[in-house]
Amino acid sequence: MATAVTDALLDELVQICGEEHVFAGASARFNRARVPSPFPVHRWAEFTPDAVVLPTSAEQISEVVKLANREHVPIVPRAGGTGLTDGAVPLKHGIIVDVKLMNRILELDLEDRTVTVQPGINMLKLSEELKPHGFIYPDNPASYPCSLVGGRIGTSGWSLIGGRYGHTRDLVISFELVLPTGEIIRVGDGGGKKVRKSSSGYQLKHLFMGHQGTLGITTEATLELVKRPEAEFSAFFAYGSYEDAWRATGDFARSGAATLAGVVLFDEWKIAYLRRDDEAYIPQPNWVKGVVALAMYGNADEVRASAKRLMKIGKASGGEYLGDEISQGDWASRHDRYATPLHGRLKDDQVVPMSWHCEDASILYSQLPAVREKWHAVAADLRERFDMFDDWGMFAYTNGAFKSWGDYLTEIDIGIWEMQWDDESWAAWVDAKREIARIAIEHGGSISACHGSCREGEVDLVPLELGGGFEVMKKIKRTLDPNNIMNPGKYLLDEAYEEDEA
Amino acid sequence: MATEKVSDSGGADGRTAEFVAEWRNAAYNCYSSGHKFCREVCPVMQVTRDEAHTPTAFHANVVAMEQGLLTIEDVARDYVHCTQCGACELRCPNTLFTGDFYRFRTRTVDLVKAMRALAVESGIHQPHWQRWNELTDERKNEPVLNGTPVSQEHVADWAAGLDLPIGGDTVLFCDCEAAFYRTSVPRAVAQVLKQAGVEFGLMQEQWCCGGPAAEMGYVDQARRFAEHNIADWRAVGAKRILVLDPHDYISFTEDYPRYFGDDYDFEIVLVVELVAELIRDGKLTLSVPINRVATYHDACRLNKRKGIHKEPREILNAIPGLTFKDVDHVTQWSYCSGAGAGLGIERPDLTAEISRRRVERAKALEIDTLVSACVWSERPLTEQGEQQDVEVVDLMELVAASAGIEV
Repeated sequence: MATAVTDALLDELVQICGEEHVFAGASARFNRARVPSPFPVHRWAEFTPDAVVLPTSAEQISEVVKLANREHVPIVPRAGGTGLTDGAVPLKHGIIVDVKLMNRILELDLEDRTVTVQPGINMLKLSEELKPHGFIYPDNPASYPCSLVGGRIGTSGWSLIGGRYGHTRDLVISFELVLPTGEIIRVGDGGGKKVRKSSSGYQLKHLFMGHQGTLGITTEATLELVKRPEAEFSAFFAYGSYEDAWRATGDFARSGAATLAGVVLFDEWKIAYLRRDDEAYIPQPNWVKGVVALAMYGNADEVRASAKRLMKIGKASGGEYLGDEISQGDWASRHDRYATPLHGRLKDDQVVPMSWHCEDASILYSQLPAVREKWHAVAADLRERFDMFDDWGMFAYTNGAFKSWGDYLTEIDIGIWEMQWDDESWAAWVDAKREIARIAIEHGGSISACHGSCREGEVDLVPLELGGGFEVMKKIKRTLDPNNIMNPGKYLLDEAYEEDEA
Repeated sequence: MATEKVSDSGGADGRTAEFVAEWRNAAYNCYSSGHKFCREVCPVMQVTRDEAHTPTAFHANVVAMEQGLLTIEDVARDYVHCTQCGACELRCPNTLFTGDFYRFRTRTVDLVKAMRALAVESGIHQPHWQRWNELTDERKNEPVLNGTPVSQEHVADWAAGLDLPIGGDTVLFCDCEAAFYRTSVPRAVAQVLKQAGVEFGLMQEQWCCGGPAAEMGYVDQARRFAEHNIADWRAVGAKRILVLDPHDYISFTEDYPRYFGDDYDFEIVLVVELVAELIRDGKLTLSVPINRVATYHDACRLNKRKGIHKEPREILNAIPGLTFKDVDHVTQWSYCSGAGAGLGIERPDLTAEISRRRVERAKALEIDTLVSACVWSERPLTEQGEQQDVEVVDLMELVAASAGIEV
């Protein structure tokens, strides 16, 4: 479908965005090919865009999209490029619309408690600006210091302990976007951009979140302001078996404490990984086979009372409280803690730089032990066949006071020595990913709790997971994006256009 | 000469291959992380928002060069966009969380310097840097006075009337920007030290430290200047070198030891640390009240590169009358004046914008004075301060005033 980006087209992009915001040089293109998820670096050139624009307004983006429709050139939206499911990877070349220059705060409304921003702003930077006013924007993924609001909407991300106040889907009140045909619209819960509760019409906000850039480009968002919590509490408990830790996790999550921000279950593989060469993690004795971490945020009087309750649950569940030092130190540095490449080990224990790959299935509480066994077996098989993979253990997370008990963001972290990729190991990896996704679905779960599920391998099972819903997705895609301009090749949505070609 | 090296290593491919072999593991350490936590602390990236200007790209390019996907011609211009402030190295998860165990620190600054050197060796010059270094080579000091030529004849003019000897056990090295442009800084330093009883002299013939040339990729020139300076130190019998500028401090504590190895046996003393000690020991008394409301700009090369952030604050807290509104040094990882590593020579627009934002942050604290301890930061910060009604003052200028010295 795609025609190459010609000089004439570049001239038109310059007319729209200005000369200083249009790039077609090699380094501009190669540095916008990948995201942090595993990347077949030996096939880098297959994933480069033809041109990059850094627009400064919704109107410019609209003009670029209209031009792309006229010329049948793919558009790939890019915000932070920190997503873990390849949403921002250009599968069919085309034009990258990079929104990073659109990073201003447009309106701070302390009365109705909203902040309206452009999509290129980072959440940590935003919260720094909100601090003098006593507020935070609590959407905090592991990529909190670098991911951007626009990408959070495109992936419908998950917040770690910020989940106390909701995830991206809850914290974004409304947003403006450029549709695949170039129209600029605003979607939210209702008409007014600051309205949180409305039942007018279809709930379009959710349709335009988590589409991985296949249904448009966010150009502005109105976000929730949350009062900076007065108090926080965190605690780590150790258990002698995974099963005991898993049972305790359920008890904590069902505690009903309204201040609950997060419950995290570490299995023994994860503890071994943290233990082996990391001075920043406080080493645990060998009998420890499971750790549960808790965090709470809120008003001081409420946190204090709930902390007592959770400490009692910890004790009753047979947990050993691991002390204040780990609570303060480890939890505080959670964003950076678990994925440094220099912890990768080959079978002979040699350290090599490994990329962190994180599965993020949503798994029912009851199914966690069974899924864990099967996932570790998949990782062991990979490691057995290719000495470039390392099993970095598993976490299961749940967040917030609202429905924290049902399903868990479940991750197995696999280290990959990406310098070693070749076609054979890449194919084995894709098979393993598909297998991990299949296990999640077979146990009643979802392939992804927050990253999205359009990577090679797992994406094959999206129709299985969504059933008739996937057919509706295709109809929506074709209706809104008749020329298949917007991030083509993602989510098997090219199938929506196959009848045309037949 | 660089050109001779080129033919020895087999032309462009050989040079790049050698470079890639040296940097590939470091590049993969970054590439494998992919976290990009460096990005929002980078002062340049905060302005350009261009992914090709990120530490991530600076490392990934090496991987692409190894695969033959990118060449030095493709990437050389991108590497202009770095002030070598070191924020990215500190914020890197690899530094933060394996640093303790492996003594590891990500080395983006060294990589940027090496890539710039590869560009120069490959005959790729940034026009303003090339001219800057040619003029420095000609005149032996940096051309910091725009149209007005600098020269060896005038390198010690700043010290007029101070009656400083040449040579001795201890010499004061005066930065080019300080010697020719902001002369109030070395005058303040010299008089403060004299008042506290510190004996020191000047060099016979002080050339540029060579650091800027090293930062911009002109490595042979940098080395020649270093050789001259240590020869001069030896000739005047100096053992101890007092340094008033953080950029020189980097040259003397990082570049020179690399050039000269064990032969390099000079004690390098940072004036800020010395002055803090003199105050602590009661050898320098600050008694004239300074009625200002001030915040401190952590000089990047002190705070981020060298971990020096306590002493400047100690000094500010010792000044009577001063209301000091501090911003902690970790928050300041993402602050910069934009003046470092030649950015202001090649992209003055970016330096101005980075400085404007820095002054704006200071202004929000409701202060009247922004104190710096880096003479290179003071020119762009002052230019922006004039627009925003914030006076930019060097820490040593304040110390002199509080010690009752008329600079």
